[in-house]
Amino acid sequence: MGSNKKYWSSIDELQNTTAAQEALGSEFTRSGEQSVEAFLSDSKLNESNTGRRDFLKFMGFGLTAATLAACETPVVKIIPYVTKPEEITPGIANFYASTYYDGTDYGNLLVKTREGRPTFIKGNKNFGIAGGGLNSRMNASVLGLYDSARLKGPKKGSADIDWSGLDTEMKAALASAASIRIVSNTVISPSTQRAINELSAKYAGKVNHVQYDAVSYAGLAKANGGAVPFYDFSKAKTIVSIAADFLGSWVMPAAFTSQYAQTRKPENGWLSKHYQFESNMSLTGSNSDHRTPIRPSQEGLVAAALYSAITGGTPVSVEGADTSIKRAADDLKANAGASLVVAGSNDPQIQTIVAAINSVLGNVGVTVDTSNSLNLFKGQDDQMSKLVDEMNNGSVDVLIVYGTNPAYSWIEGDKFVAGLQKVKTSVCFNLFADETGSRCTYMAPDNHYLESWNDYSPVKGRTDLAQPTISPLYNTRYAQESMLRWADNGATYYDYIRQTHNGAYSATMMKTDSSWNTAVHNGTFAGTVTEVAAPVETQAAPVMMQAAPLNVNDAINYVSSIKGGEWELSLYQKVTMGAGNHANNPMLHETPDPITKVTWDNYVTMSPADMKEMGLETYIGQCDCASLVKVTVGDKSLVLPAYPTPGQKSRTIGIALGYGRGAGNEEIGKAAYQTGREGVHLMDGDKRQTIGKNAFPLASISNGVINYTVSSVGVAQEAGTYAIATTQMHSTVMGRDSVVKETTISTFLKEKDKKKGEASYNKAVTLPVHADVNKDGSIDVNDRQHINEVDLWREHPVEGVGHRWGLTIDLTSCFGCGACITACHTENNVPVVGKDEVLRHRDMHWLRIDRYSSSAQDTLKETKEANNVGTIEAYRLMESPEDNPQTVHMPMMCQHCNHAPCETVCPVAATVHSNEGLNNMAYNRCIGTRYCANNCPYKVRRFNWFNYVTNDKFAMVNPAQDDQLRWVLNPDVTVRTRGVMEKCSMCQQRIQAGKTEAKRNGTIVLDGNIQTACAEACPTNAIVFGDLNDKTSMNTKRSESVRSYHALEEVGIKPNIFYMTKVRNIEESEA
Amino acid sequence: MMRLSRSFRGKIFVSLSVLILLTFNAFAGIFDGGDAAKGESLFKANCASCHKVTDEVLAAPGLQGIDSRWKGKDALLVKWIQNPQAAAASGDPYIKELVAKYVPTFGWMQNQAVSEAEIKDILAYVKTPPVTGPVAAAATNKCMTLEEIKKEKEKNEESDGAVWFIIIGGILAIIAVTAANISRSLKNAINEREGLAPLPETTYGKALKSWMWENKKFVSVIGLFLFCYFAVVGYSSLMDIGVYDGYTPDQPIWFSHAIHNCQNEIDCQYCHSSAAKSKHAGIPSANVCMNCHKGINKGAITGEVEIAKIYDAIGFDVTTKTYKADYQEKPIQWNKVNNLPDHVYFNHSAHVTVGKIDCKNCHGPQQMYTVGHVPTADEINSQEDVVGLVKLERRPFTMGWCLECHNKKEIDLNSSAYYQEMHERFKASAVGQRTLRDIMEDGSATVRELGGWECGKCHY
Repeated sequence: MGSNKKYWSSIDELQNTTAAQEALGSEFTRSGEQSVEAFLSDSKLNESNTGRRDFLKFMGFGLTAATLAACETPVVKIIPYVTKPEEITPGIANFYASTYYDGTDYGNLLVKTREGRPTFIKGNKNFGIAGGGLNSRMNASVLGLYDSARLKGPKKGSADIDWSGLDTEMKAALASAASIRIVSNTVISPSTQRAINELSAKYAGKVNHVQYDAVSYAGLAKANGGAVPFYDFSKAKTIVSIAADFLGSWVMPAAFTSQYAQTRKPENGWLSKHYQFESNMSLTGSNSDHRTPIRPSQEGLVAAALYSAITGGTPVSVEGADTSIKRAADDLKANAGASLVVAGSNDPQIQTIVAAINSVLGNVGVTVDTSNSLNLFKGQDDQMSKLVDEMNNGSVDVLIVYGTNPAYSWIEGDKFVAGLQKVKTSVCFNLFADETGSRCTYMAPDNHYLESWNDYSPVKGRTDLAQPTISPLYNTRYAQESMLRWADNGATYYDYIRQTHNGAYSATMMKTDSSWNTAVHNGTFAGTVTEVAAPVETQAAPVMMQAAPLNVNDAINYVSSIKGGEWELSLYQKVTMGAGNHANNPMLHETPDPITKVTWDNYVTMSPADMKEMGLETYIGQCDCASLVKVTVGDKSLVLPAYPTPGQKSRTIGIALGYGRGAGNEEIGKAAYQTGREGVHLMDGDKRQTIGKNAFPLASISNGVINYTVSSVGVAQEAGTYAIATTQMHSTVMGRDSVVKETTISTFLKEKDKKKGEASYNKAVTLPVHADVNKDGSIDVNDRQHINEVDLWREHPVEGVGHRWGLTIDLTSCFGCGACITACHTENNVPVVGKDEVLRHRDMHWLRIDRYSSSAQDTLKETKEANNVGTIEAYRLMESPEDNPQTVHMPMMCQHCNHAPCETVCPVAATVHSNEGLNNMAYNRCIGTRYCANNCPYKVRRFNWFNYVTNDKFAMVNPAQDDQLRWVLNPDVTVRTRGVMEKCSMCQQRIQAGKTEAKRNGTIVLDGNIQTACAEACPTNAIVFGDLNDKTSMNTKRSESVRSYHALEEVGIKPNIFYMTKVRNIEESEA
Repeated sequence: MMRLSRSFRGKIFVSLSVLILLTFNAFAGIFDGGDAAKGESLFKANCASCHKVTDEVLAAPGLQGIDSRWKGKDALLVKWIQNPQAAAASGDPYIKELVAKYVPTFGWMQNQAVSEAEIKDILAYVKTPPVTGPVAAAATNKCMTLEEIKKEKEKNEESDGAVWFIIIGGILAIIAVTAANISRSLKNAINEREGLAPLPETTYGKALKSWMWENKKFVSVIGLFLFCYFAVVGYSSLMDIGVYDGYTPDQPIWFSHAIHNCQNEIDCQYCHSSAAKSKHAGIPSANVCMNCHKGINKGAITGEVEIAKIYDAIGFDVTTKTYKADYQEKPIQWNKVNNLPDHVYFNHSAHVTVGKIDCKNCHGPQQMYTVGHVPTADEINSQEDVVGLVKLERRPFTMGWCLECHNKKEIDLNSSAYYQEMHERFKASAVGQRTLRDIMEDGSATVRELGGWECGKCHY
C-alpha cells in the first residue's frame, strides 16, 4: 500500500544511475561554475593589459562612484489623472467579466485591472460555462496583450498604410474581384457572423466563407449530426476514453476538468471509474484508474470491441487490451445511463461507433447532450482543402483571413503559401505579422481580445460577452469593423453588437438598457436580456453535414481493416502550448509539461524500452543531451530529440503540435525563438531558430477530415544531440514514503469513520521517547508520542491565535493541469528565466507540480526476499515500470512550516515566522547565503542568480525586460533583485488586502473572501485556502479529515499546508 | 450636591419644558433640531470646498444667516440643495436673485446626494458651527495670513546659501594663493638685497608640502579636526539617505495647503479622497480642482497664473466657462513629496479608516505649509490640535518611526467585529502560552502585539 510503495520521479532515479545519485545530493548543481584551471587556460587572458593595481584602482573608484551615485535623492514624479474615471480608485483593482476565444480555447474570464491596466485573469466562477474554470493558456494570455511585437497599425506589405487608404484599396479590390474567399476559425460570435454575412451580401454571389480549426474535430461533429455534442462528465460514473485527452486538450478541457472533478470526491461515497486507452501518456491517462497502452491503429478496434461487448455482437479482439476492454464494458453496462465513452480520434467512423455506444447505453441526454450541442469546432477540413486547391488554380481574387493562421496550422501549409502568392489581393486580421499575415498584401490588425467588445455563443442557448479592459494600445481596428467598412457600413462594432441583440437599439439607449448592463457585468446573458436575436446561421449550408449519417456496422468493418505499421505516430497537443497560438508567451514555454516536465521544447515521446533498444540516451540532464531521431512520414520528415516517457506504448511515438512557430523568421515575438547562453537568439543561417518543429504537416486528410495519427512512420536515429531543459530531476523523493499517500476507494470507505491518524493508509507518525508515555511502568519502544508533540524548540503561538493561514491540497482531485502555476506566476511577478537557466536547474517556479510515477509492484521487502538481493538491486529489479505506471500529481510550494528549518539557519533573520503561520521572506534583509534553501526539505526556495529585470541574458524571455510587457507586473508585489532568495508567500499581498478590507468594513474575515492565486485558478478546487483557526472554514474541515497529512510529516516541522490522500477507484490487489 | 435650591429645580423644569417644546418644533422646521456634530462632517465632506459658514464668498455664497434668508421655504431649500436647477424652475424671486448673482461666475451647484435629515444636520452646524474647545479655536487662529504665505513663497524662491559658501571659499583660496606668492616674492626681494641665493624654483604642491612639514603641529591638529568633522558629517549624511524629513520639492503649480486646508477649511480627504479606501492617498485629479476652480479663477497671491495651469491641463476656457471639445489633456506632473521605497507596502486606508489616525500624525501641520512638505519629528510633535497624537522620536518616514508607532499605538479592540473575534481567539488560547500571557498582561493590545512588527506585514 501507499506506505511502502516506491515512487520515482525519473527513470534514472529508479535505476539509480550515478548521475541521478549525484543529482540527488545537491540542491543547486555545480556544473554551471567554471573551474580555476579553465579560467586560467583561457587564451584571451594574456591579451588583457589591465594590471592588478589598475584593476584595484578601478574597483575602488567604481565602488565609491556607485556609493556616491546612490546618495542622490531622485525626484520622483507623481502624475494624477486629469479627469479621473469614476470607477477607478488608484490602488484598488477592478474586475471585469469577459470571454476568451481563440479557435482552440474557450473560457469565461474575470479580468483584473489596476489603474486601467489588465494584470491578471481568473475564471468567472459565478457565471462561467461549467464552473468557469480556465486552463493555464487562458490565464497566461494576458501577456499577449502587451507583446511589443504586435502590429502597431495597418500595413501594405512591409510599408505602413493608413486605415482610410487601406479601405479605399480594399474596396476597389473587392469590387473588381470575381471570387472572394473568407477563411477563418469557427465563428461563434453572432455579430461577427452578421458582419461576414453583410460583406457577403454586399458582394453577393462572389463570397464563400470557409471555416477550419487548427485542431479539427470535424470527424466528431460528423458522427454526431454535424455538431460536437456537449458532454457532462459530472454525471458519469464510468468514463471510458479512447485516446481523448479531455483534461488536457480535447474539446473544452477546462470545463471538462471541473466536471470530472465532481466525480472524484471520495467523501461523496463514490468515485467515477475511469478507463483510458491510449498510446501517448496524456494528462488524462495519468489520472485514469485503468490505463491500457494501445497503438493508435487500435483505437477503432477498441471502440468496436466495446460496442460488441456491450451489445453482445461478434466479439472483437484487441491485442493486449482484451481484459481491460471486458472490464470497461462490464462497468459501462452496470452504469448504463450514467456513463460516458469518448474518443480522441478525428475519424468519423470511430466516432460513429462511440456515438452508438453512448446511444446504446442511454447516455444521450444525460452525459452526452446533442440537443444543446457546441457551436465551437464547426470547421470543415474538406472545404479548406478545396479552398487551397482553388487558390493554387489562381481562381481566388481576394482572400480575407480572420482569426486563423493557415500558413502555419493548415496541414498543407506550404501549399497554402504557394496558393496565397497566386491570390491577387489578400488581407489578414491577425495581431502579428505571422506566417500568414506577413505573406498577405495587407495586414489589418484586429484589436486584442482584452481591448475588444464581442459576443460569443459557444453552446446553443448561451451567449457570452467580451468587454474591453483597456483602450487599444496600438492603431488597430476591429476586424468586424474592417469588414463592415468594406461593406459600406460605418457602425462601430459596439453598436453593431447591441443591434444584434436588440433590434431597437440606438446609441442613445445605452445608459438606460439595464439588462444589457447586467449582461456585461456578468459576462453572459442570464435570462434578463429578452432581446437576444437568434444566432445568425451561416449562409451556405455546410456540404459535409448534408452527408447521410454513417452506419455502425460499416464503421466496425472499416476499423477492423485499419492496419498499423512497425512504428506509429500520434500527434497531440500539450497542455501548455495547445495549437500554437501562444508561441510567443514565455511564461507558458517555461511552465513544465505535466507529464514530461520539459520546458521550452517539443520532442518525440518514446517508450524507454524502445529507446534503449535503439541506443538512444535515456538520461536527460544538464550535461546529458537527448539523442536526435528522424521521423519520416511519406515524403516529409522531422528531426527532433527523443524523450523517454513512461507509459508510452512500445513502438509508438508522440509529437506535440503547436511548436515550430515562425519558421520563416516572422515577427511573432522574441520569446517565440530559441535563446542561447548569452541571451541572444540562436540563428539558423540568417533565420532565428524556432522552438521545436511544426508537426501539423505530418497529419493527413482522409475521408474529408484530418487524421492526427499516422499508422506507419519511419523512426531512425540521427547524428547529433540536443539539450532539453527539464525540471524533473531536482525534485526527487529520496525513497521517502511519506511524500505521497494513496489508497483505494474500498479501503477509504471502510475506514471512513476513523479518526485522523488512524486509517491504515494514513497512520499518524509517532516517535519513541524516553518517558513512560503508556504508563506501563517501564520505558521501552512502546512509549511513543505523536511527532507534533515532540518539540525541539519553543512553539510559535499560531494554533488558535489570531489567524493561521493554510492550504489543503486534495491529491484525488489534482490532475496536474498547471493552471495554478501560471496564475501564481502572473500574480507574484515570478521571473521567466529561459531554457538555458532551466537547464541549470535555476528555474524560479514558486509553485511546481511534482509528478511521481509509481510502479504498481511488490513492496521493497517482498522484492528483496523474492530475489534475495540487496536494497539497491531490489529497486532495480522491481518490475519494469516504464510499461504503464500509475501517476500522482502533487503541487508543491512553500509549506509554511511552524517549525521551519529555513528560519533557524538564516544568519540575518531574513526569513522569519509570522504569528499568522506564514513563513515570511524579507527580501531586503536577505544576503543570499542560500542556507535556507539547503535546509528546506521540500526544495521550494528559489534563488535569484541574476537581476532578471536588467541582465541582457534574459532580454528575450523575461516579461519585465520589455517596456510594454512590463505593464503586466503586479504592482502589489516586489520585483526581486539579484542575490536574494524567494519563495511562495501564500499570496501575502492578498491576505493583507483581505484583512484590511475586513477591518475597514468592521467584519471578520469570511471564509473564501481571501483566495490565493493558485486556489483561485484551480478548476477542481483541489487547492483550498483558508484560516485554520476559523473552526468553521472549509479548510479547517479538510485539514481535520481522515485523509489529510503533511508531506514529510516525520521531520516534525509542522507545515501549514495539508495534503489529502489520493484515492483511486481500483481494487485493493491493484494498488 | 443633593441640596439643590428650589429656584434651581425650577430652572431645570423650565429648561426641560423648553427642550421638549424644541424637540416637537424640530419636526416642523428644517432649521431646528439637527445634529451639529454629524452636520460638521457632512459639511466638510460635501460643502466646505465651495461654501463657508461665514458670510465670505468662496466658490459660492457664504451660508451665514441662511436661516433668516430661507425662512418658511423649507421644502424649497431642500430641493434647492438636492437639485438646484429644478428648484430654480419654481420661479422663486430669491432663487432668481441668487442665480443671477452667482451662476455666471461659479456655474450651477452640482446636485447633492444628501437626505433631508442630513440637510437638517448640516444646517444645524451652519447655524452654530460648534467650537470643540480652545484647541480648535486656536487652530483656526493659527492659520498663516496672506502676508506670511507670501513671505514663505518668496523665501522658497530664494537661492540657498550654498552658492555663497562656494563663492566666499573661492575668494579666500585666491587670497591665500596670492598672499603666498606675495610673501615669496618679498622673501626673494629681501634675499636679493641681502645677497643671498634666491629661493629654489618650486611648485605650489611642493611649497604646500614644505609649509606643512614646517608647521607639523598646527597641521596635525587641523588635520585631526578635519578628519573628525568629515567623519561626523559623512556619517550623518549617510544616515540621511532615503530620509526625507524637511523635504519640500518645488511643484509645477504653486499650490498652497495653507490657503486650501487652513483658511478655506477644505478637508484633507476632499482632495486626497482615496486615503479612506485605498493604499494610496492619491493626488487629486484636475477635475477635482475644477469643482471649485470652475468659479475661482484668481488666487489671492498668485493671481491668475497658477490657476490657469489647471485650465491648461484639463482644457477649460475661462472666458466662456466651458470645456474645450476634443482637447488633448495635459497631465500635471507633480513632484512626489512622501517617498517610500518600493519594497515597502503601506496602506492608507488601514491607518485612516481602520486605525482612525489623524492625517497630521504622520504628515504634520500640513495646513501650515504651502506646497507639500515632509514634516520633521519636531513639527509633528509640537502640534497641539491633534486629538490622540502619538508623539514619536524617530525621524519621519523611516522604518524605525513606523515601528515606534506600532509599538506605542493601542488598538481599540471593541472598534470592530474583526478585532473582537481576534481578541476572543487570543483569550481562548492564551492559557498555557507564555508569549500570549505576556501580551495580554497589561490588558491592552498594541499594533505590535497583533503582529505589527512582522516583516511580512509590510514587505512582500
